[in-house]
Amino acid sequence: MRLKKLIFFLPLITIFWSNNSFANEVNIYSHRQPFLINPFLEEFTKKTGIKTNVVYSTKGLAQRLKAEGENSPADVILTVDIGRLYIYEDYNLLQPIKSNVLDSNIPMHLKSPENKWFALSKRSRVIVASKTRVEENTIKRIEDLAKPEWKGRICSRPGSHVYNRALMASIIAAHGEEKAEKWAASFVNNLARRPQGNDRAQVKAIFEGQCDIAIINNYYFGKLKYSEDKQQQKWAEAVNLIFPNQEKNDRGAHMNISGGGVAIHSKNKDNAIMLLEFLSEEMSQNLYGKINFEYPVNPSIEPSEELAGWGIPIEDKIPIIKIAELGPLAQKIIDRVGW
Amino acid sequence: MVSNQISLNISDQSSLDVWRYIPVILSVILLCPIIGIIITATGDSDGLWWHLYETVIGKYIINTLLLMCGVSISVLLLGVGTAWLVSRYEFTGRRIFDWLLMLPAACPAYLVAYAYTDFFEYAGPLQNLLRYFFGWQSAQDYWFPEIRSLGGAVFVMSFVLYPYVYVLARTSFLKSPSSYYEVAKLYNKNSFFYVGLPIARPAIIAGLALVCMEVISDFGTVEFFTVETLTLGIFNVWLGMNNLVAASQIALVAFIFIISLLVIELKARSNRKFSDSSQRQTKIERIKLSKLSHLATFFFCSLPVFLGFILPVCLLFSHSLKTNYHQDWAQLLQVVINTITIAGLGTISIIVFSSLTAIIAFYRGNSFINKLSNLASTGYAFPGTMLAIGVLFFAGFVDNFYSIGLNTVIGYSSAGFLSGTILMLVFAYTVRFQAVGYGSLRSGITQIPQNLVDASYIMGKPFNETMRKIVLPLLKTSFIAGGLLAFVDIMKELPMTLILRPFNFETLATYSYQFAHDELIEQASLPALLIILAGLVPVIFMNKFLREIKV
Repeated sequence: MRLKKLIFFLPLITIFWSNNSFANEVNIYSHRQPFLINPFLEEFTKKTGIKTNVVYSTKGLAQRLKAEGENSPADVILTVDIGRLYIYEDYNLLQPIKSNVLDSNIPMHLKSPENKWFALSKRSRVIVASKTRVEENTIKRIEDLAKPEWKGRICSRPGSHVYNRALMASIIAAHGEEKAEKWAASFVNNLARRPQGNDRAQVKAIFEGQCDIAIINNYYFGKLKYSEDKQQQKWAEAVNLIFPNQEKNDRGAHMNISGGGVAIHSKNKDNAIMLLEFLSEEMSQNLYGKINFEYPVNPSIEPSEELAGWGIPIEDKIPIIKIAELGPLAQKIIDRVGW
Repeated sequence: MVSNQISLNISDQSSLDVWRYIPVILSVILLCPIIGIIITATGDSDGLWWHLYETVIGKYIINTLLLMCGVSISVLLLGVGTAWLVSRYEFTGRRIFDWLLMLPAACPAYLVAYAYTDFFEYAGPLQNLLRYFFGWQSAQDYWFPEIRSLGGAVFVMSFVLYPYVYVLARTSFLKSPSSYYEVAKLYNKNSFFYVGLPIARPAIIAGLALVCMEVISDFGTVEFFTVETLTLGIFNVWLGMNNLVAASQIALVAFIFIISLLVIELKARSNRKFSDSSQRQTKIERIKLSKLSHLATFFFCSLPVFLGFILPVCLLFSHSLKTNYHQDWAQLLQVVINTITIAGLGTISIIVFSSLTAIIAFYRGNSFINKLSNLASTGYAFPGTMLAIGVLFFAGFVDNFYSIGLNTVIGYSSAGFLSGTILMLVFAYTVRFQAVGYGSLRSGITQIPQNLVDASYIMGKPFNETMRKIVLPLLKTSFIAGGLLAFVDIMKELPMTLILRPFNFETLATYSYQFAHDELIEQASLPALLIILAGLVPVIFMNKFLREIKV
């Protein structure tokens, strides 16, 4: 009856992975993949001696935090995309933080008005266009993509993806709902194929000649350009990167953020703040560029050499929270135009 | 106590039958997360339904139906067809096909979708080869089906999901009494349509139900192929519009839909029962094939193995060679150990839960208990993420209750024992994959001759002894089949593991996903291959076991 013994020991086995938190640790719920945040956390532990524990998931962590209530072991929330941060604030899962370091490192428009969350890096939604089939300087604004001359020449991932939804929100913020929907309808009308695939796939499609123009996040361009895979480097070589809305008096390129905050029932609050501060400081801010081709939020830090090599965009500086607030409306427009 | 030991009327209502409480209690526990989703769905959805009705819901429903029909038809052809061939015919490689045909079950559908997109799309090696061979210049010169489409999703899902039908149908074909086949032969009737199919029907439907639930709850594949199904809609509404209420409502609609299908099928077969009263253990004589049909059989069995296993594995392997990502092998080993441990624990839990509900409900329960146990095995029909939220809801409730209770009783407060532990993860797997164990056992039970059980009662043997000596041994193959599918399912399970796991706990699926999510198929491939490799272990074990008991 070995089975019986095994069943008897089951509860003991589960204790190995129990929920207990210890003094010099910080527990992180992360929407960022381990392989992207581990380099930061290793440096953090090296510097402070604080051990880090991570749960990574793309979705559902806000619900987990909410369900756990006061018992939750989580201290820090790390996310990508402003929409997710906003949900945490909306559910009242974050606490306001007083930190001079964060206040001086992070500009006003990139944090919550109540100091509940802070942007830690920026990424830009950019246009890529075929080097051979699209003449330079013919596309200057995101609005240009609705022009009839591009009919059947644009590729896109589905509109309901967070990055496109945020972009849509930025267009609503700039032009209002009605005009934004008009733009979206014309844009969809210009698509060469049903929205599909991810950002890399759009660049690949341009390389293959299926379409001439696409919208991607700037860091994918970097990842392709410096890929281990020679083939992927060729995809990047086939396109020009265009930062939209750069002309004088224009609003600048749409930016999204990755960011973080401290959980409302955090048991290691000091450690949690220390981690956020660490992520806003020079070494981490440089790491964001080095590891993932993202822009620093700290104004005193220059973007990495590779990033600067493609030009530094003028940024759309609307308070980032607007993008989150307009998200649901953006999704409705996306549903209506069938992007 | 158990007063009706001798009574043949098992559903005797008069006595106080303690056994009956077991399936009821277990079912209620399993249903708690679903109740969590129902509670979430009762909130205010801010009039979102009107928007959905006007814009997308029709598209979602049509796509879901098409996907389900397409996959159902092809898994029936593949699963039942191959199961029939390997159990009734003798041909070259039959003994190997026997277990090779199960292997695609270990391939996570969304990773196969990634690999196949690379392979079949315009720039992929296949079309390149075709262009080179026929001298075509561009996409306008020829027609090739688009892989990122509804058809592509049907294709990918069919070839990794048919093993559910195959495993259960094959178990049933092998166990069907040979006397039936002899009678069919005597009357010159087609033994497949007149014997095999009707007898295996509960098993086939159980397998098909699993496939349908898997299809309706799939997110990874449909997202990658942009097939706008209800599940994709659930996520657009939840994450895009920050409206969990409306999202749970869509999930419930999908859930009710699939449950209705199951109820219709159950009704349709409720008055058909097949069991051999003699239960002679005669070995099935496998039929020898002519040359041409030999070849056709071989080809038909190779096709799903090739497309569902060999090709994806080769593609993943070639991707995994392309990366020089610094792999921490010690860490990877830990991940493998985690995966196998958690899948093992989950499988044990599923077997305990499903056997206690399925067997006791069947032999001791009334119609209410049976319905309740059936209902408790429908967690599979929810998208994993939604079900995870239900589990969180339940675990949070239990933990709060526990810590408040503890505080009032002994004045000491402690965090809960469920949230964020392995225990919660195992519970979540049980809720989600109960259907796998339960379906397998339920279809096995229908093949046990009632007179054997009755005979045991007549001889004065109590219920527990009858179960132990008669029913459990006869269900061995069903246990193994259900356990195998559950094990493989847990190993590749992604959304629930992501959300519910403890700190610093990686399984192969989550480890692979962090790369796949960033579109890094090269780095994602190695852990994906390891999932498939680890999936071989239970398959080989099952095969060995089945040989030993000589079915």
